[in-house]
Amino acid sequence: MSEQSVLIDSRERFSLFIELYKKSFPAVARYISRKGGTYEEAKDLFQDALILYYEKRVSSSFAPVQNEQAYILGIARHLWFKRIENRNNTDSIENATSIPDEQEDVLSSGKILRLLETAGQKCMELLKAFYYDKTPLSAIAQQLGYSGTRSATVQKYKCIEKIRETVKEKSLVYEDFTE
Amino acid sequence: MRTSLNEIRDIEAYLSGASSPEYRLLFEARMLLQPELQQKTREQQHIYHLVKAYSRNQLKNELDKVHEHLLTSPEHSSFRQRILRLFTKS
Repeated sequence: MSEQSVLIDSRERFSLFIELYKKSFPAVARYISRKGGTYEEAKDLFQDALILYYEKRVSSSFAPVQNEQAYILGIARHLWFKRIENRNNTDSIENATSIPDEQEDVLSSGKILRLLETAGQKCMELLKAFYYDKTPLSAIAQQLGYSGTRSATVQKYKCIEKIRETVKEKSLVYEDFTE
Repeated sequence: MRTSLNEIRDIEAYLSGASSPEYRLLFEARMLLQPELQQKTREQQHIYHLVKAYSRNQLKNELDKVHEHLLTSPEHSSFRQRILRLFTKS
């Protein structure tokens, strides 16, 4: 079994993440604690690092990393630097209580996402499997019960159409979200 | 496939960046002539962003479960202690 196919099943992913957690979380937690961070911050940062590592791992250009633990610690360190930098910038203008500009966008996107988690879940799962987890079409077809890759492809386009309509129906202004 | 689905496929080919320069040029010309296509392309780009955000949220939920499991279940109590010890002020 190739590494990629191992990641398709959520139970397989669970055991993969348990392993990664056991191997890498202590080092990251120690680092964050030394830097004066809290347990919650360590958890948050480590999870973000794992998400980035996962995205790298499923990407087609991924070459296996020799030392996963060091690699993940490296990502976490980088994220910590960025966080401190942001914090210092905010502190200097003494507006820790005011909401940054981009917050508004985040909130509206959050609303759409919550909507899609309920109204379009089946489609979102298909699109996630294809675009995010990079699951091969044949495996998606098999998993979700389509007759073949062709019908899974058609379904994928139908889902894009459906989500597009769902988002539109809620009369959300697109201009707010496009970059 | 329905015309509307073919259009989605064409937009995807354009946005994916995997298409040829000729294709992109042609597509951009079509967008100039059809503002509606331009609008749809923007919308579709937005869908891809949403899928990514949705997926990251789902993954984060999976990781929360892993975290919860490792930091509460008895079988991992030594791991739990090892982590928590790092954050207790001595």
